[in-house]
Amino acid sequence: MIVGEQKPISEIKEIIAPYKKILILGCGTCVKTCFAGGEDEVAVLASALRLACKKDGKEIEIEEFTIERQCEDEFIQESAPAISRNDGVLSLACGAGVQALARRFAKSPVLPGVNTTFIGVLEKQGVFTEECSGCGNCRLDIFGGICPVTRCAKKLLNGPCGGSQNGKCEVNPETDCAWQMIIERLGILGQMDNLRIYVPPKNWQTSLSGGPRKLVREDHMI
Amino acid sequence: MNDDLKPKITLFHCINTVSEIGGFSLTGRDNFELHTVKLPCSSMVKDVFLLRAFEAGSDAVVVLVCPEGQCRYVEGNIRAKKRVAWVRNLLDEIGLDGRRLSLSNISAGDNGAASQIIQNVLKDLEDLGPNPAV
Ligand code: SF4
Ligand code: SF4
Repeated sequence: MIVGEQKPISEIKEIIAPYKKILILGCGTCVKTCFAGGEDEVAVLASALRLACKKDGKEIEIEEFTIERQCEDEFIQESAPAISRNDGVLSLACGAGVQALARRFAKSPVLPGVNTTFIGVLEKQGVFTEECSGCGNCRLDIFGGICPVTRCAKKLLNGPCGGSQNGKCEVNPETDCAWQMIIERLGILGQMDNLRIYVPPKNWQTSLSGGPRKLVREDHMI
Repeated sequence: MNDDLKPKITLFHCINTVSEIGGFSLTGRDNFELHTVKLPCSSMVKDVFLLRAFEAGSDAVVVLVCPEGQCRYVEGNIRAKKRVAWVRNLLDEIGLDGRRLSLSNISAGDNGAASQIIQNVLKDLEDLGPNPAV
């Protein structure tokens, strides 16, 4: 899922300052799971902003609404009446959701309330970790299901750097060494021979470095 | 706080700490409004309830939870404590002063302790003044 973090209230206050009527629009999928922009976070932010504005003597009307997914037009449509009632929308979705809204509602200012951070997983309650960089050419098959592109600080593809200590990365001792994990897992899987496979330098053209990407599925187009 | 201003306190409490608030006496100080919200477990105080209490005009919000290790639902009071700490930061950030929100552990049925906590909050409000967002 996409992991994000709500922006500090002070920044959000500045972002919404020019508007008198604002819709806080949540997204009920990824950002809900990471406590950044689901229905609960919309309610808390709306309440906090109302208190903050009242304290500062600033008049503002805040409406709250959450849709299932902000990156799909089908769901976005549900927010159309609420968007038309307000001067601007503060989206608590990831950057894709913000842009999908902006594309759909050409005349409404769409503002980001969340810093989109990474593609990750819920490691344990309240802890989210980055697991994939969306490189566009996945080789998890040979790495035992652990991504060195994302989880090795040096993005090494052919084994460890040799600097890890007690299973921790030498760049950040708080982080597990990705290669230690890969080797342990290959051992469990009986696939240690994968370590002999030479992985050539990565062609980053399939990643964001090659410019924004597009996925076209002709078979689903009408 | 001015004596002619009647401080408003909202108190969220777990039914296992104090079964019925109002039974305890607050000698020497009845010039305040107390709104109580009973919860089956203190873990049910969501962030938004605490904030809405301030929106509704409370000058202070108090959460009473069972002593640590004695929550009937194992860790409800720990969750409440973390949530209160989070909302206190939020209150600081928006300039309301996090000290308006407090959490105390009290033993089941200790109405004396509950009344002392309210007295302390009233005393703190003398410094903090009224809710600036009213
Ligand atoms: S808008 Fe972003 S956060 Fe919401 S469902 Fe789509 S990808 Fe996930
Ligand atoms: S190899 Fe690429 S696509 Fe696969 S997990 Fe790593 S970054 Fe993501």
